[in-house]
Amino acid sequence: MSTPLDPPKGNWWDIPVNRRESIWLGIAGAWSLAIFGWMSGFTRFGDQNPVGETYEVDPDEQWARTQDYLDDAETIEIDGREAVIPPDDSVYITGYRFAWEGLPVALEAGRQYDLHLGAYDVQHGFSVRPEDSLSQQINLQIFPDTEWIVPMTFEDPDTYHVICNEYCGSGHNGMHGKFYVREEL
Amino acid sequence: MKLLSHFDNDYDEDGFRTCSVTGLNIHQDAERYVKIYGVTAVIALVIGGIFALTVALTRWELFSLVSEQNYYRHLSMHAWNILIFWMVFMEIAILYVGGPMVLGRKLPLPKLAGLGYILMLVGALGVNWAIWTTPAGADAPLLTAYVPLEIATEFYAFAIVFLLGATIAALPFFAAIWLEKRGNPGKTLPLVAFGAFITSIIAVQAILGGLAAFGYAFVWRVGIIETINTGIYRQLYWIIGHGSQQINLLAMITVWYFLTHVVGGAVVVSEKVSRSAFVLYLFFINLGAAHHLMVDPGVSVGWRVFNTSYAFYGAAFASMIHAFAIPAGLEVGRRQRGKGGGLFGWLTSAPWKNPIFSSTIFSIILFGFVGGITGVLMGQLQLNMTWHNTFATVGHFHGTVALGTSLAFFGLVFFVVKTMFRRDFISTKLAQIIPYFYAGAMGIATLMMMYVGILYGVPRRTSSAVENIPGTDFSLSAAELLFIPLGLGAVLAIVAGALFIVVTVASLIFGRRLEPGDDGGLIPDGGMATDGGITAEDIHAADMRGTFTMCLIFMATFVLLYILNWFLLTQLWQIGA
Ligand code: HEM
Ligand SMILES: [Cu+2]
Repeated sequence: MSTPLDPPKGNWWDIPVNRRESIWLGIAGAWSLAIFGWMSGFTRFGDQNPVGETYEVDPDEQWARTQDYLDDAETIEIDGREAVIPPDDSVYITGYRFAWEGLPVALEAGRQYDLHLGAYDVQHGFSVRPEDSLSQQINLQIFPDTEWIVPMTFEDPDTYHVICNEYCGSGHNGMHGKFYVREEL
Repeated sequence: MKLLSHFDNDYDEDGFRTCSVTGLNIHQDAERYVKIYGVTAVIALVIGGIFALTVALTRWELFSLVSEQNYYRHLSMHAWNILIFWMVFMEIAILYVGGPMVLGRKLPLPKLAGLGYILMLVGALGVNWAIWTTPAGADAPLLTAYVPLEIATEFYAFAIVFLLGATIAALPFFAAIWLEKRGNPGKTLPLVAFGAFITSIIAVQAILGGLAAFGYAFVWRVGIIETINTGIYRQLYWIIGHGSQQINLLAMITVWYFLTHVVGGAVVVSEKVSRSAFVLYLFFINLGAAHHLMVDPGVSVGWRVFNTSYAFYGAAFASMIHAFAIPAGLEVGRRQRGKGGGLFGWLTSAPWKNPIFSSTIFSIILFGFVGGITGVLMGQLQLNMTWHNTFATVGHFHGTVALGTSLAFFGLVFFVVKTMFRRDFISTKLAQIIPYFYAGAMGIATLMMMYVGILYGVPRRTSSAVENIPGTDFSLSAAELLFIPLGLGAVLAIVAGALFIVVTVASLIFGRRLEPGDDGGLIPDGGMATDGGITAEDIHAADMRGTFTMCLIFMATFVLLYILNWFLLTQLWQIGA
């Protein structure tokens, strides 16, 4: 056998590989392909994919669109706070230092909405979890110059909390918002 | 210089000496620069470690040590000193070991080694200054310096100086490889030199990305361009942000081959397989930078799936190859000397009391089981939604760099203390416990980071979320309990790290001088080299049962965690088109 500090002697390329090492190569190779296949298949048959249309948009326009949406929306009082009821399936949520425009919002359980995610200033992190089950959480990156339309269907009525989990400046730790998901509105 | 001469060794008139442990022919310039870069790396580790304490005691909201206004500055200091400066200064030293020393050559272009060092030092000091003088409450860079935050212009400038310095510092290494190849056409590089060479190519790619990213941000900050695109910066940034982790990975693997051999007596069971794995890295590993962009808008699904998988997991496959090849080298090497029967006798009878050996083995095991598996999990497009920017991400990369790479480098520093500074440890007992102590404490902290992230969604990069989210009653206080082992593990890991520094520095200053010929107790039992041949028969006769069993356990863990993560994901509401 050779050492890692000396040049290998002779025709080292043609020395066969130990049987157990060959088997391991087979296992590791097969596993690599399998997890690739699963990930790529899941984009077709799976229900949880970080996928949606994106558009370049400048922050002023993002602001105008969000304001139009808010003007069209009605509100409802939940837990003593005004929540937005989206006029149709589109839900605008726009991050800025240090709050979420468009939140709190009231949504119907089991209905598919298109979340329009964006920001006015810097990057933010859109991190959502239901109050009663913290392990069910998802996280998406939000850009100031891009609108991302991600469809979501919340099945379980609960209060969902949004925390910003991308550093966006001093004050970032208080950047929080809510979704109220209810059987009926 | 007076200080350095305290550590001078005796060289022959050509400036060479023979190492009494490795038998390598070492030139004085190479040795001097390995020491200078190594010592600077350790100083950066001290600074980064001090900020690990303030960061950990802030995140442990029982203490909430630093206010939000100042927290992000502390986190930036931690990240840049420990991830960038501790690691990159070490890596230049590793290039000089893996190139000139292993090849028994002079260090070519020693002036460039000096110039590179000065630029890196100026860059590192400047970055520290730019971070520390950020006014309270103003935008701090953190590791990533994301635009369009208004981060100090000087920060980008000094980061560029540092990267240019690292490029210049790498030139003597390239020259050594080039001279070796020109002088010996047809001769193959030793595996360690080959690994170092692949590392350096990947490093150049990473640095080019870094210059582009920081250059782009810099021209925007000084007003030469008016707007800057978030997504483009992120793509450029992650070429270096992740590229530098690939450097850490390859440097660490090269160190694994080196140290398992010199203190454990490992052999190379298949030159072909190990080298092919390095070549796979060369082709595919940089694609992995995309796994930081999995939940970004604006990048297509196909692009993300192809890149995050390093093209069908070419690089993950390469890592699994090393995961077998390195322990197998140890197993076969020790069995050939008759050290250890049964399935694991070769491992249990290994020199566990040698801290260089134990830190290397802990590095291998913890990197694989903790950092490696989680990296592949969170790098899957969909699973990334549950990991991204949570504390679990911090757990993942402390598994790779704070457990894996740092432990391997601890081993290497100890090795350099003995073989190049020629000092004995001031206390062998203390030195012996450090790897166990650090690996144990950091291991606990790291696992807890993952739990609080995945099970409670605790975010990273925030000064408070568990006890108190300002402006709301909501908090993640359910995670409170897990912060106790997390915080204790973190504090103990810092104590262990401090002990490592103390033993290293005290050994350098007060340690007994090892006379020429004294191996300092490092030579593996039964000698370093074995006299087994390399015929087709003995490769099949070589026994790798123990390694094979360990790898099967690894694979079972991997599959189990994979299924568990996917199960958690499919419990979520419907997301995405
Ligand atoms: C002694 C042990 C260490 C402790 C207790 C520790 C603790 C932490 C904690 C709690 C965070 C997360 C803070 C947050 O997101 O709010 C963090 C971030 C980080 N740590 Fe460590 N760490 C240690 C060692 C290391 C080492 C050895 C490295 C690298 C070699 C490292 C690299 C980083 C990086 C790159 C970040 C991310 C900074 C960012 O988000 O920009 N740490 N550390
Ligand atoms: Cu934010």
